[in-house]
Amino acid sequence: MTTIVSDRPRSMRTNELRPVALITGASSGIGAALARRFAGEGHALALVSLPDPKLAALAEEIAASTGKQPLTLEVDLTYRDAGVRIAAALAGAGFETQFIVNCAGFGLVGPAAVLDCGEQLAMVDVNVRALADLCLRFSDSLIRRRGGILNVASLSAFLPAPEMAVYNASKKFVLSFSEALHQELGPHGVRVTVLCSGPVPTRFQTRAGIRANLPRLLACSPQFVARAAYDGLMAGKRVVVPGVGNKGLRLMLRVIPPGVLLPGSQAAMRFSMRPPRKRAVPAFRRGPA
Amino acid sequence: MPDLRPVAVITGASSGIGAALARIFAANGHECVLVGRRENLLNALADSIAASGKNRPLVIPLDLTRMDTPVRIGHELGARGMEAAFVVNNAGYGLTGRAAQLDRAEQLAMIDLNVRALTDLSLRFIDSVARHRGGILNVASVSAFLPGPGMALYNATKSYVVSFSEALHTELKPLGIRVTVLCPGPVRTEFHTRAGIDTAQLPRMLTYSAEWVAQQGYDGLMRGRRIVVPGWGNKLVRLALGATPKRFVLSAADKSMQRRAMQPRWPKPPSGKS
Repeated sequence: MTTIVSDRPRSMRTNELRPVALITGASSGIGAALARRFAGEGHALALVSLPDPKLAALAEEIAASTGKQPLTLEVDLTYRDAGVRIAAALAGAGFETQFIVNCAGFGLVGPAAVLDCGEQLAMVDVNVRALADLCLRFSDSLIRRRGGILNVASLSAFLPAPEMAVYNASKKFVLSFSEALHQELGPHGVRVTVLCSGPVPTRFQTRAGIRANLPRLLACSPQFVARAAYDGLMAGKRVVVPGVGNKGLRLMLRVIPPGVLLPGSQAAMRFSMRPPRKRAVPAFRRGPA
Repeated sequence: MPDLRPVAVITGASSGIGAALARIFAANGHECVLVGRRENLLNALADSIAASGKNRPLVIPLDLTRMDTPVRIGHELGARGMEAAFVVNNAGYGLTGRAAQLDRAEQLAMIDLNVRALTDLSLRFIDSVARHRGGILNVASVSAFLPGPGMALYNATKSYVVSFSEALHTELKPLGIRVTVLCPGPVRTEFHTRAGIDTAQLPRMLTYSAEWVAQQGYDGLMRGRRIVVPGWGNKLVRLALGATPKRFVLSAADKSMQRRAMQPRWPKPPSGKS
């Protein structure tokens, strides 16, 4: 029996693709926290975001701490061909997807009639279409690698919200789709988890137009949320709601009748757009742990 | 400048619930605009409505999975001196099978139609709908109340429609706009053929005719109801779904979809576990 001796990595000798964790919306917030978490657990990374200098900085930081240089892709997920471009870039780099983290997404607060129609449709394109596209596109390699999908929804998925109508509906889509995929792909060894976090102080609020201080009982740091999500995904949980306050809120939302819930959520949305009276520091109780 | 004529824009009007809704709107004195892909069917419906002594509806043969279709509908209306007083988002389709095995492009087109076009049309005409104190009727399904393995994307799109419409209902009420979401159970239409469901397998207690469901939707809209679930059986299903733990709902939905699917699109999962 002969042994082939080569100093090249095994993957290059055999044309074997290397497993990678694909993370969208990775340049900041929960996406960046999840990227650090996946990197810390030894996964090779492909990071997708809009063109953003923070993405390269994050990649450098991860390369320095783990010795593995993440692949960075600057792709706008509102484009219809975003999925094709990501797949081509991964194949070109010799990667195949083992984990997908669909974290990219944004929200807008305001009356649906006043907000820009095109921007609201772009929200559908990113939060709904691109997420579904990526989940479906890589299902073969996920099954082969017995990997997983982590979809980032929100506590918003559990209630319709006037003045945040499209966002909450898009997250409801993510919740329903992910739960069904969990059931469908489970027998194939693919874990599917949907993360329904409460308020997390990130750039999300700036983009959405939320100016009020986040409720301290509910707010969690991105690091805390990312840890709960990663552990939940690896444990094969269907839904992860980080934080005791948010878990309690989710249970309460199930029993509140819509006649109360709808005006209530509308009032909350209007309140969130008002500037805070005084600055609360820190913005969350559950800090990095 | 002459006033623009208020019309009811009905998508997916070539057959099924959409066609029934068009007849009901016309019978109640609304001028209709029929949007759909199959021009001959739309024209036949328009002719039969005209034959009953009403205004012949305008036929706009366009594919709503295309992103520019809502804009073009707006142009067509404007060019003919019409503006939307009612918008009925009825166009939509479902697909049965494992999400990972179904054609991806077809599934994404489902999002473009069931979610994107519906959102676009709901938002685009708010000004004129408010001016005429009209309404928006969005057609979802009882599928919206449960995640559906075997129909994962369809149920998710319909849960989007319910959440979005419920929010709009509260938001637009002060403007005098009625927003109603219609959540029918199984209805004997072409939907099931497209989705790959054997109609002989539909639960008879929950199944209604398109005409009856359309009438329920129309009445609900005119009364300003938030949500309409036609039939007692379907109302009970909805309540039961809310009270059952998701784990059981998911596995039960999985089994029932496997029974209803026409083709054996259900390959067994690999048995050799690593």
